[in-house]
Amino acid sequence: MAAVAATAATKGNGGGSGRAGAGEGGGTRKRKGPGPVATAYLVIYNVVMTAGWLVIAVGLVRAYLAKGSYHSLYYSIEKPLKFFQTGALLEILHCAIGIVPSSVVLTSFQVMSRVFLIWAVTHSVKEVQSEDSVLLFVIAWTITEIIRYSFYTFSLLNHLPYIIKWARYTLFIVLYPMGVTGELLTIYAALPFVRQAGLYSISLPNKYNFSFDYYTFLILVMISYIPLFPQLYFHMIHQRRKILSRTEEHKKFD
Amino acid sequence: MKHYEVEILDAKTREKLCFLDKVEPQATIAEIKNLFTKTHPQWYPARQSLRLDPKGKSLKDEDVLQKLPVGTTATLFFRDLGAQISWVTVFLTEYAGPLFIYLLFYFRVPFIYGHKYDFTSSRHTVVHLACICHSSHYVKRLLETLFVHRFSHGTMPLRNIFKNCTYYWGFAAWMAYYINHPLYTPPTYGAQQVKLALTIFVICQLGNFSIHMALRDLRPAGSKTRKIPYPTKNPFTWLFLLVSCPNYTYEVGSWIGFAIMTQCVPVALFSLVGFTQMTIWAKGKHRSYLKEFRDYPPLRMPIIPFLL
Repeated sequence: MAAVAATAATKGNGGGSGRAGAGEGGGTRKRKGPGPVATAYLVIYNVVMTAGWLVIAVGLVRAYLAKGSYHSLYYSIEKPLKFFQTGALLEILHCAIGIVPSSVVLTSFQVMSRVFLIWAVTHSVKEVQSEDSVLLFVIAWTITEIIRYSFYTFSLLNHLPYIIKWARYTLFIVLYPMGVTGELLTIYAALPFVRQAGLYSISLPNKYNFSFDYYTFLILVMISYIPLFPQLYFHMIHQRRKILSRTEEHKKFD
Repeated sequence: MKHYEVEILDAKTREKLCFLDKVEPQATIAEIKNLFTKTHPQWYPARQSLRLDPKGKSLKDEDVLQKLPVGTTATLFFRDLGAQISWVTVFLTEYAGPLFIYLLFYFRVPFIYGHKYDFTSSRHTVVHLACICHSSHYVKRLLETLFVHRFSHGTMPLRNIFKNCTYYWGFAAWMAYYINHPLYTPPTYGAQQVKLALTIFVICQLGNFSIHMALRDLRPAGSKTRKIPYPTKNPFTWLFLLVSCPNYTYEVGSWIGFAIMTQCVPVALFSLVGFTQMTIWAKGKHRSYLKEFRDYPPLRMPIIPFLL
């Protein structure tokens, strides 16, 4: 979900006039785009994020070569992963202050679901950190984000190489299912440890007259993938058809 | 008398849907909508949006044909608003739910709590008080819907009833579950806390009702006039001096009171969500007032005096 959502609906991070992005069904809006200061800031932001995820990618490759196996690579990139994924919270702010023409609600949902997986599942349940499923979603996110942030960077500079646009709207076909699988398997792996430790759970009686069962919550999260993932996935497929066919008609991408 | 001709085109496809000849110049949009329904019965007037421009604003039912910027052959564009449901129906349904649902938990109907608790009664006074407060709040809302409120719009889109009922019914069940739970813990500061909170609740309920009555008196029955609301002799309405939507202010206050009284997190969350939504509505209303009335009192804020 986090994998799917992040690419799907953000017009995000200053994709020029917003046509670049996989827009939510908001229709075309005649926006003037961010001003010069905001554009400069967004370019810097997107470049930094592209670099950050490249660091993670390189870190994964080096760790793999050093260890000779693909197991437990999470530990080698744990810090940059946490830093750069959490940094994406800024994107919510960008929408809120209007320098990026995406919906605050949609962006919040996407970023929070990523942040949730990083902190509330992987970080909090140490036992899953050595699971292979973690590598699955980390790789999916890494490739997706490198492409996504460079896409925004180039769009802001009005020089979008077709290969980046193609990659953004094509690789998701494999990366989304891959990421979703990794995410679901990781949550599933965390379940017994959450139950055992009573993690993030509170039961009655207590003075707040409130109860929360994190184990049940995680199961509900997993179930929510069933309606959400197909919607986001097919939205991207629809966007792909629209945007990639337009380019073939030699429409100028301003 | 010169008659008008009216042609109605689909706003998206520009297809000619209807041609009306011999329309009176003083015909209103409402009357034209009725004529249109005759040829297309599936589009009853409430779901018709007629405009002069396909992408423009909807014309109002009261607008008179003669007064519109059209020639003697008027072209109107039609957009289907989708299935509609009356505001009254939505309000009654969304308020009747919480009233009923809360009582299911209060009486500890089977299958909610463990079987040994079926139909038992809480030993805490505050739990009984809470039931009275919650129930009377929704009874008040139902009665206001039937006898007090004067709605500007007759209908809203049908999907709203599902959204709204999920919200109200869902939160009611969630709150009621904890307040009426056999393991419920009464407020930390005991009777003092309950008394204070109850006072806040009652005052705010009276306030909210006073505002609803004042707003009703601004508008004669059957009309859709809009006027600036002002304080009346009723002291509860003096809040109009400081806010545009004191009804929302009092409503938030009531729920804060209820949250303090029950010391229950779900109630606090419900108050927070309600506050967020009402703030959005209040800001919108405030903006409309400012746009419509040049002499709108400058001291007023949308919902919280001086702050928001």
